Amino acid sequence: MSKFIIRRALGLIPLLFGIVIISFVLMKAAPGGPAQQFQRNPRVTQTQIDEWLKRWCLSADASPAAAVKEFAGWFGIYNCNTESIFSEKGGLNFLPSSLGGGGNGIIHGDFGYSIDAGRPVLEMITERMPATLMLTSIALILWVSIAILLGVVAAIKRYSFFDQAVTFFSYVFYSLPIFWLGLMMIFLFAVTLRILPPQGIVTPRAWPPFNTDVYWAAFGRNPIGAIIDIGRHLILPVTVLVLANVAGDSRFVRASMLDALNQDFVRTARAKGLPNRTVVMKHAFRNAMLPVVTNVALEIPFLFSGAIVTETIFSWTGMGLLFIDGVGARDYFLLMGILLITSAIIVIFNLVADVVYAVVDPRIRYD
Amino acid sequence: MTLTVERATNVGPPAADVLLDVRDLRTYFHVMDGLVKAVDGVSFTIKRGETLGIVGESGCGKSVTSLSIMRLLDIPPGEIASGEIWLDGQDLLTLSPEEMREVRGNDVAMIFQEPMTSLNPVFTVGDQITEAVVQHTRMSKKEAWNKAIESLRLVGISNPERRVKQYPHELSGGMRQRVMIAMALSCDPKLLIADEPTTALDVTIQAQILELIRKIQDETDSALMLITHDLGVVAEMVEDVAVMYAGRIVERGTVEDVLVRPKHPYTEGLLTSIPSKGMRGSRLNVIKGTVPNPFNMPKGCNFAPRCPYRFEPCGAYDPRIEDAHPPDVACWLYTPAPGQTSAPRQSGPERQAGPMTTGAPT
Ligand SMILES: Nc1ncnc2c1ncn2[C@@H]1O[C@H](COP(=O)(O)OP(=O)(O)OP(=O)(O)O)[C@@H](O)[C@H]1O
Ligand code: SF4
Ligand SMILES: [Mg+2]
Repeated sequence: MSKFIIRRALGLIPLLFGIVIISFVLMKAAPGGPAQQFQRNPRVTQTQIDEWLKRWCLSADASPAAAVKEFAGWFGIYNCNTESIFSEKGGLNFLPSSLGGGGNGIIHGDFGYSIDAGRPVLEMITERMPATLMLTSIALILWVSIAILLGVVAAIKRYSFFDQAVTFFSYVFYSLPIFWLGLMMIFLFAVTLRILPPQGIVTPRAWPPFNTDVYWAAFGRNPIGAIIDIGRHLILPVTVLVLANVAGDSRFVRASMLDALNQDFVRTARAKGLPNRTVVMKHAFRNAMLPVVTNVALEIPFLFSGAIVTETIFSWTGMGLLFIDGVGARDYFLLMGILLITSAIIVIFNLVADVVYAVVDPRIRYD
Repeated sequence: MTLTVERATNVGPPAADVLLDVRDLRTYFHVMDGLVKAVDGVSFTIKRGETLGIVGESGCGKSVTSLSIMRLLDIPPGEIASGEIWLDGQDLLTLSPEEMREVRGNDVAMIFQEPMTSLNPVFTVGDQITEAVVQHTRMSKKEAWNKAIESLRLVGISNPERRVKQYPHELSGGMRQRVMIAMALSCDPKLLIADEPTTALDVTIQAQILELIRKIQDETDSALMLITHDLGVVAEMVEDVAVMYAGRIVERGTVEDVLVRPKHPYTEGLLTSIPSKGMRGSRLNVIKGTVPNPFNMPKGCNFAPRCPYRFEPCGAYDPRIEDAHPPDVACWLYTPAPGQTSAPRQSGPERQAGPMTTGAPT
């Protein structure tokens, strides 16, 4: 097993490398660039723009050679101060600093600076991560539990009124656009009924911005008030995420449970005279959960990448919103940082899914 | 003679030596295209410690009969439309689901056709045997575990202390079927139902498993209902046999009577379709035609479209085994049809030294 994990983990490195290259190419292929913001400003001259780009190690021309240099600079092979693959110290740039290499690029642990905000990318990501994790993990736990409950009951009471109702609402929520659902919820609960806040993580005038030092100081003075305030802000976005995702997942659980209930070993269990509950909850359920476990493990990266649409609608300043803002500003270094971290999490959880599967299903052995 | 033939009117529980008494069982399925009468008036008895084989082509209702006895059919689409199933003095069809659970695995145990899929892949063999024992006895988990090891030893699994901790996928097909048998025997059932227990296995393993079932039946004195489509297996394994065709029993009797002097043309057809050693390589004499469409049963005798002896009454009147004297065959060749004074035949044609003597199962 540990051999398998090591082998797979080593395989992840070229995979990640491939993902970041493709992301970079796609990003560069999109029209516009970070210098776009100066285009309609008559007081900024072309020379100033070129100078600005050079400070960011970006090139004005869109040639493939220039793109390769930019990527190599972000990666840490190329050094744009010396304009070569050698560092200021004269060694090959990708080597560790202590061996004469440079200090730039992610192979040296440097995610660079956000072009738009001018702050370290890693700092911006760690600042936004808690808001996203809070929203998405609560939503994921809720929707997975609800989906399992609904799916299993619907499968056991197949074709009953309950099953038909679950099916009906699943299709409704599955096909509703999330942004429309979100806006309707804001309209109903925040604008019309005025019982919940329409957007944000905390009430702006009562609390400092979330996850700042002043916020945590205020949190320490009144933790219960802080939690209640965040809780009220969580209700609508969590509800939207749960409604949208329970739909598909409960179908998945139902199908998986039905499949398990139709297996020969369920008939064997009944033939042994076991009570119905044991047959369903032990024999069928355990088998039905095998594919569900994989499915959930594959949903976990979402916890970190954030829910772009939901965060945008509810102005939830998390990872999803950070990414969208980055796209708008063509903030290459910020985007690459986010993409690298989220794709690393995705591939790691693919591996985790495989390992978990091997743990719950004795038939699978990795060696 | 008129059409009104008195039927055996059994009322109340059967005699004490009768373990299983199935009376006029009718099991139907309500499907999209209509009603499938999978079992359409089947009656038979098995005495304590005795053995009955049920043979017939695929789809004739053998499995549905056994699943009806176990009450393991999905209802709906299934429905036990009528009948009585007396087991050890009680009519199973009148039991509550809880009472029926006490019977399953305890009084009647079943071995299924598919050893590869009949065991749960995510629990160990020991877990799955123990579960049944704990359910039906007062044994503790620990005692039941030892009982599981004991049953595995009994069915000829070597090193049972190790096997008991293994998962089904670690065992071969034959081994898994032994586990199924061990599981079935763990609660000392009065009746063992084996539904084609060897069909999915290699030929060499088949003989071993059948040998095991017979040995265990001998030793434990439980009754055996063996379902198969292999008459060779019947000849080797059981004393009595019932031949099923399209949801009904068309002939029954001792193995000697039925296999040596088959009365029903269908039984005769089944017998001549068995390859004998001398005939190997030559064409099989299979019964011409196919099983009738359940939504469009022939008028009169169900077997008429395929029967070489078909004559006038066959297309008009439906022969029932209950109408025969003695009730051992459902065919107008042996029972005077309505409007006839006598039947063409009295006994079945004697078969020459046939494949049955060549040491089946082949
Ligand atoms: N769940 C079901 N729904 C609808 N029809 C069914 C169902 N189960 C069985 N049947 C029908 O009942 C008839 C008898 O089936 P059964 O399984 O008893 O045949 P069998 O004699 O055991 O055949 P085999 O030798 O293939 O096992 C078949 O025509 C089948 O189509
Ligand atoms: S009743 Fe007629 S058709 Fe039916 S089996 Fe007998 S001879 Fe053949
Ligand atoms: Mg069958």
